[in-house]
Amino acid sequence: MPLVRRDIARPTTASADEAAARDALRSADPDMRWNAARALGADPASVASLAAALSTEPVPRVREAIMTALMRIGNEESVKALLPYLREQDAARRGAAIEALQALPDVTAPFLSALLQDADSDVRILAVELVRTMPAAEATRLLCEVLAHEPHPNVCASAVDALAEVGTRDALPALEACARRFADTPFLPFAISIAVARISDGKG
Amino acid sequence: MITIDRAVVPALRVLIVDDSSLVRMYYRDALEKAGFEVEQAMNGLEAMEKALAGRFDLLIVDVNMPKMDGFSFLRELRRSRAPAGSVPALVITTESGEQDVQEARIAGANFYLVKPVAERELQSYVAVLTGASR
Amino acid sequence: MTRSGEEDRAAYVSPEDVRRLCEFLYRRTGMLFAEDKRYYIDRRLHERIAATGAQSFQAYFALLRSGLDSEVEHLVNAFTINETYFFREDHQLRCMTSDLLDAVIRTKRPGDPIRIWSVPCSTGEEPYSIAIWLMENFPDVDNYQIEIVGSDIDTRALAAAADGVYGARALMKLSPALIARYFESASADGHRIDAGLRDSIQFTEVNLIDARAMAQHGRFDIIFCRNVLIYFDDASRRAAAENLFDCLHPGGFICLGHSETMSRISSLFRVCRYPDAIVYQRPETERDHD
Repeated sequence: MPLVRRDIARPTTASADEAAARDALRSADPDMRWNAARALGADPASVASLAAALSTEPVPRVREAIMTALMRIGNEESVKALLPYLREQDAARRGAAIEALQALPDVTAPFLSALLQDADSDVRILAVELVRTMPAAEATRLLCEVLAHEPHPNVCASAVDALAEVGTRDALPALEACARRFADTPFLPFAISIAVARISDGKG
Repeated sequence: MITIDRAVVPALRVLIVDDSSLVRMYYRDALEKAGFEVEQAMNGLEAMEKALAGRFDLLIVDVNMPKMDGFSFLRELRRSRAPAGSVPALVITTESGEQDVQEARIAGANFYLVKPVAERELQSYVAVLTGASR
Repeated sequence: MTRSGEEDRAAYVSPEDVRRLCEFLYRRTGMLFAEDKRYYIDRRLHERIAATGAQSFQAYFALLRSGLDSEVEHLVNAFTINETYFFREDHQLRCMTSDLLDAVIRTKRPGDPIRIWSVPCSTGEEPYSIAIWLMENFPDVDNYQIEIVGSDIDTRALAAAADGVYGARALMKLSPALIARYFESASADGHRIDAGLRDSIQFTEVNLIDARAMAQHGRFDIIFCRNVLIYFDDASRRAAAENLFDCLHPGGFICLGHSETMSRISSLFRVCRYPDAIVYQRPETERDHD
């Protein structure tokens, strides 16, 4: 039999030392930072350390692990630590933050109204993506407000996409008004027709 | 009306990479009308899986997507040195800054358009980039 | 309204509802159901609507989106065949001996260990299949120290795996010759794996999201992690993927279930397309910046 069997030890029951892990987040060794981030996913007291580490972390997989830890902690402090990344220049970091926030719809919800009125249209687009994760009635309400007042067609396009997924029949008037407003632009009238079909044919 | 025998002249194939189902539908509509065959992916990781199977004549790539954005995808694809890695790529995105265009070029994009793109415009860019118009 | 009228109304799912559901499933799992496969969705959707007691598609879709009661898991379960048997998804085993092991042994000297992990291993069909496949198909099987580990969170499944007794259904893809070669006895309960083979597989209990327990297992050259990640929520999935990454040697490979994709799970791994399978690799060298 060419197969070999070696015993694998059971982990000790010694409790994890979160303080040591938080220190290790500042290590010069990326593997130590990686292990530290993965050890802190259950520790709400570590959000500030994780957030600080995130802002300077150059190694992609360590950044991923820090994001995962913040997602798993998932409290208001984590969300506040992630929100600034919506303004990041770097697409990868922006995307990673959005993904983390999308996993935390209840905690993120209170921040969305303000983000939907942000001066930066790119932030408004990302905010619309976050609205998508909310319950249908609330999402529909917020997205219809966007459609009513939003000047930028790309923000409207994101809102229409989100409504195609979660919109209720309450969204139909706002969608139709938006189609009239942007009748001469490419894409939006097409997108709105799809969203209207999705919503109308269903019974909701 | 000329009917093309696809057994003799296989359709040119385009991979659409965008996280919006409506955008993918819109491009697919426009390109199928113009005789292209279309496949889709909703993020850069899925795009890697599909692009490496090869046989695409053009990639249309959005930037802001979950899991792996469009620039990261293009960098990864060009780095892979697979034969499929040198397929031309048209980036179509909401970002219009000079910095974004630069970043796209460095990542490996061949062309850059800002959303929204009209159907006719899309059809003619794709025709040019795939050599279909020759 | 009559009782049957209410049932009819509750059960009504429009084509647009199905499109909406398919888009959601595609976003969440990567599974794409084309127009011609929609009938496949219909039946299972109706089963789940009935099972959850949802009064309408809208109510069901809201439940699905909320993530409550692991309904996405139940719905995906309805599409996937969860039976386990020997040589299930053997195209991945073929990929292992046709392509993956060539890459693995490039960095090894004769006599070096090759470590392969089946996690979750359930009742053991997968780790035993890997062992049998290697002995039948890997010409260099005697030149390396091949270590196969099977792990699961379910201790009853692990006990059954260690016991190694299987019924006819589990053995349906094995030829009589293979059964004669690797199984030592037959009884009313079924065939039992040969004692030597049983003893050479290490079975352990592990939770994929427990970083310390995972780290105890050391690093592997190939990991089979099939049909489990799809059922985790986003944060847990990422944590599990990070732990699996940590348990691979640089250049090591991980195989997911046939309807799973890393594109919905984690960006840590590179995708590798081989003739027999798509597998994922821990990169050989790390990028230390973007």
